[in-house]
Amino acid sequence: MKRAWFYLLLGVVSTIALSCRTEYEAPVPYDFSDKPGSGRFTPAIRNTVNGVYAVSEGADRFGDQVALRWTYTHDGADTVHSLSIFSGVGAGFFSLEINQQADSLAVSGFWRKLVNEDTGLARFTLKAKRNGQLQPYTGQSLEGDTLVLDGYYDTGTGSPQQKMTLTYVRPLNPEPFEVIAHRGGGRTSDLLSASENSLRIIRLASRLGAHGVELDVQYTRDSVPVLYHDNKLNLRLVQKNGLSGTINQYTYQQLKTFVRLINGEEIPTLEQALQTIVENTALDFVWLDSKFDGPMARVQALQQRYNERARQAGRNVRIVIGLPSTEAIAAYQGLANKANTPILCELDTATTRGLGANIWAPRWTLGPQTEEVNAMKAEGRSVFVWTLDETQFIERFIGEGKFNGILSNYSPVVAYYHYTAQ
Amino acid sequence: MLSRQAVAQEDTINRQPAIYFPQAPVPGEWRMSLGAVFTSTPPELTEEIRLALPAIDFNIQKGVSRQFFLTGRVQTQFLQSNLALGARWARPINNRWFVAVGDDFAGWFGTLQIKNVFDSEAYGLQNFPHASLGYRLTRELQISARAEAILDVYYRSAAGALVVETPGWRGNGFAFTFMLEQPFYKQQHVSIGLRAAYSRFNWQFWSLYSTFDRSLFYPQLLFNFIL
Repeated sequence: MKRAWFYLLLGVVSTIALSCRTEYEAPVPYDFSDKPGSGRFTPAIRNTVNGVYAVSEGADRFGDQVALRWTYTHDGADTVHSLSIFSGVGAGFFSLEINQQADSLAVSGFWRKLVNEDTGLARFTLKAKRNGQLQPYTGQSLEGDTLVLDGYYDTGTGSPQQKMTLTYVRPLNPEPFEVIAHRGGGRTSDLLSASENSLRIIRLASRLGAHGVELDVQYTRDSVPVLYHDNKLNLRLVQKNGLSGTINQYTYQQLKTFVRLINGEEIPTLEQALQTIVENTALDFVWLDSKFDGPMARVQALQQRYNERARQAGRNVRIVIGLPSTEAIAAYQGLANKANTPILCELDTATTRGLGANIWAPRWTLGPQTEEVNAMKAEGRSVFVWTLDETQFIERFIGEGKFNGILSNYSPVVAYYHYTAQ
Repeated sequence: MLSRQAVAQEDTINRQPAIYFPQAPVPGEWRMSLGAVFTSTPPELTEEIRLALPAIDFNIQKGVSRQFFLTGRVQTQFLQSNLALGARWARPINNRWFVAVGDDFAGWFGTLQIKNVFDSEAYGLQNFPHASLGYRLTRELQISARAEAILDVYYRSAAGALVVETPGWRGNGFAFTFMLEQPFYKQQHVSIGLRAAYSRFNWQFWSLYSTFDRSLFYPQLLFNFIL
């Protein structure tokens, strides 16, 4: 009898506990038209808009200053421009496109906070503040004019009603620094509108503040390098499909046919990803995280091909192979020809020196490691720290000014602290 | 309203060995239990890796008056530990139903020193006001349910020489515990149950440096031998 009560209680509690698990939702409430061109936002006006702005209305939700930066994606001869706003509060950002229907310099889009489910719509108009009065900005400034982004935001899918005013304060911090987005742009668990390690998230990465991306590379059974993070196919990353096991149990064609990532995308090949980065984005750095077993030659061949394609296209894109383990180092050392194979070493400084790697990438949980960082930089190496998401630590790491870049799931936070640094 | 008759009869109500059941020990009496708590990792934090992290769990209680008693609890995985001290006020409604309210104040500390991986440590303070309802099914079989609020009081972490801290009280989440306490073998009694915590931060996962500002589900299985 006692035992029966116990099992009954255990069953009821387990059922309640499991059924109470929350499903988080943060749908992006805006469909971008992705129309090419810049409309009235000429290159000169876009350059003028980039900057640090004070927030006078809306500061309670987004903080008292934000950083604005234009970015773009290419599709052949077409270029789509978009404006991002990095708030630094709750990994918040705005992603806005040019409203070409408006008869003024207007942008529309959405905002999100990556740490929770907050999201909503936003629209702004660019104005000039002259003698205390706001008036439409035409691209012509008089001395004493101040740029103002005047607009509205709101939560959910409602038409924006809450006032938000951004007033230009100073230019963005021009110091060179790599904001590197984890898993192609960000984690699936942060409820982004595109899945991690997908072509869509790579195209979004610049809007999230990234200059570069980290990609997780594995081989299929027929030795096609593809992007996938976890050891196995699982419901964290892919839609239910009846398949299980590791990526290298399936051919690329099987994955292409039967597997979709959480937001519906195919698992991309490394080649598709590099092609997208070089041909479609403003990204300038690619960190290939070696999660594969076996020879590195196929990855090396793609790295060299797309480094060359970028060079031919006049793009300054660096594609490097990350070596996170002794197994990856052995695969690198097993290459027949290591010339023109930029690498990044995640192990200690001695190993980095021994490999002749130009980039050292320590874990952030080891702290700032100032002596080691200074020594590596004095030897001509760059130092990128990973995977740092904690806002206060990002602020400190950037404030100390020792690192050349930060790899983060929260590139909007890194972008905010980098661009607003003085 | 509590029954006056029940209060008057309180000293005559049967006491069974228990740690969670909302009935005070006899004034001056010590109660102790030793066991383990297994906490499952939320998929949002550990992704495809699922662990049920075990921690040693030691409870101690001392009766102060007929209805008031002090509590202490240590949970440890050696590299990270939690010490809680609290007080409880408990009284019977009748000879089957019992209630209690209390508050626990906890301090936790964790450190990870792994070459080329971690040079981190953290500690913090948390507070847990709670209320319990107990029901004695039979003379020896008792179940209890506890609801508690989880409040963060202070958090400090360091990575190498860099330190960040978050002082001040802040709501962190809530938890529900369902416990069964009964004889196990000869004179031995056990506490066994589940705790479902929904919180933004759980001290056992400090080293993952979660940045989610949303409540995650931390299921715990508790098993203790009442000493």
